[in-house]
Amino acid sequence: MKFSLKDIAEPLIFFVILLLLWEVLVEIIKIPAFILPPPRDLYVAFVDKFYILYKHALVTFMEAVGGFALSFVLGVTFAVSVVYSRHLQNTIYPLIVILYAMPKSAFAPLMVIWIGYGLFSKIAIAFLVAFFPIVVNTVVGLKEVEPELLDLARINRASELDVFAKIRLPNSLPYMFAGIKVALVLSVTGAIVAEFVAANEGLGYLILQANYSLDTALALVILLILALLSLLLFMAVEILQKKMAPWSAEVRQLEGSF
Amino acid sequence: MAPLIEAEEVFKIFKSGAKSVQALERVSFDVEQGSFVSLVGPSGCGKSTLLKIVSGLLPASSGSVSVAGRRVEGPLENVGMVFQSPVLLKWKSVLGNIMLPVEFARLDRTRYLEKARALVRLVGLEGFEEMYPYQLSGGMQQRVSLCRALVTDPQILLMDEPFGALDAMTRDELDIELLKIWDGKRKTALFVTHNIQEAVFLSDAIIVMSPRPGRVIERLAIDLPRPRSFEMMSSSKFCDTTLRIRGMLASASGNPAAAAGSTT
Ligand SMILES: Nc1ncnc2c1ncn2[C@@H]1O[C@H](COP(=O)(O)OP(=O)(O)OP(=O)(O)O)[C@@H](O)[C@H]1O
Ligand SMILES: [Mg+2]
Repeated sequence: MKFSLKDIAEPLIFFVILLLLWEVLVEIIKIPAFILPPPRDLYVAFVDKFYILYKHALVTFMEAVGGFALSFVLGVTFAVSVVYSRHLQNTIYPLIVILYAMPKSAFAPLMVIWIGYGLFSKIAIAFLVAFFPIVVNTVVGLKEVEPELLDLARINRASELDVFAKIRLPNSLPYMFAGIKVALVLSVTGAIVAEFVAANEGLGYLILQANYSLDTALALVILLILALLSLLLFMAVEILQKKMAPWSAEVRQLEGSF
Repeated sequence: MAPLIEAEEVFKIFKSGAKSVQALERVSFDVEQGSFVSLVGPSGCGKSTLLKIVSGLLPASSGSVSVAGRRVEGPLENVGMVFQSPVLLKWKSVLGNIMLPVEFARLDRTRYLEKARALVRLVGLEGFEEMYPYQLSGGMQQRVSLCRALVTDPQILLMDEPFGALDAMTRDELDIELLKIWDGKRKTALFVTHNIQEAVFLSDAIIVMSPRPGRVIERLAIDLPRPRSFEMMSSSKFCDTTLRIRGMLASASGNPAAAAGSTT
């Protein structure tokens, strides 16, 4: 990926203009601050409450990443098992499909009963929402192998393990990464929703607090922080993908250039 | 010379649920050791299926194939395969892809690495050893696939329209290279193609097949001298032969019996 100066300058200028417009319009139309505060207020809220924001962001980050890590480990394991075991396909898979059809975040109140008020019930929800994209993508990646490649393996007497390690697993990497990106963003959402339901820390909790005191500026700052958090995670995965599965990035770049 | 590959009354019927498709009907032919034989026939007549049965990847519904006197009952060991598409691993370099059969068969890496490099030189891919498939043109990818089929030095080379997806010029180039390799190593080659000229140009014998269910219409010996060159393509013998095959295929597909043997 190469950025020219223009590629950076253009969006930057656009955002500055947008902020100025926002500031000016709020002033002119006299919108009350609790409905839409000017950007200046957002900045003030951010600086004033930096430490609190940082503390709660860390909590949400831990919940999201914890849930994601769990979903990755269990999701990949589950995907491999389903691909290789007809029994699992016939028994657990339908169960998973039913679970998939449920709104996962609606489990949040139940999780409080089952796991408690603390960190782990949030991790559980983050895990639940992140689990499916990982499983679905990994299963597709493991299965979408050119049949000729499998013929080639058979002719050369490749072991089942070889077919897995040298063909199926690397083949699934670009798919897995696609799943990971979705899963990460969802796990942040999952953690926030879980905090909405019952929590005494985390950015979701803080948004509710800001709402109660009509501190719209703080709520908006938190949303921006959440966007930043998701973006950072997303970019970290992107870098990892370039390292581990450069061919997927190449393929995408080719498509992207049209 | 005794035939290396013998197919006897091979039938193949694909069954899926209540439907069944007959792909091959009473196919018999043999391929002599060290000869280059092509299968030509209309699309869907069962050429790929036949190749898979010969390689042991697919069982025949009835009839038998034997190689070197032994009945084929599972994937053959001494076979190299080239498919219509290169089917390369995107995450492996040219050399890594060529070495794949060696890895699978757990053969001595260092010994075969030499062979792999020699093959790379032979097909003119020197300097591209560490490149990845997406950095190669279609013709180069198919060259890699050919090297991969040859690296373990198999006795039999099975090719399923290996150059079918390439442009005419690249195909001509690869045909010449293939003949050079085949001349040098004297593999027994079974080659599937749509292209009658290509078949005549490459082969010692051509097996002409009917539309589905595939039957052998005729087995033609091609007695053009070797090494072959493109000038031969304008010889009257060459033209007569291609014309004859064209005629056979045309009358076979114009035959209403072809439709009668479809799904039952
Ligand atoms: N796995 C399968 N299951 C069911 N039918 C199949 C299967 N494989 C092939 N067939 C059928 O068998 C017939 C012959 O197929 P095959 O691929 O061998 O033809 P072909 O001569 O190689 O055609 P082409 O020149 O287009 O590659 C076709 O009608 C096809 O639909
Ligand atoms: Mg075919």
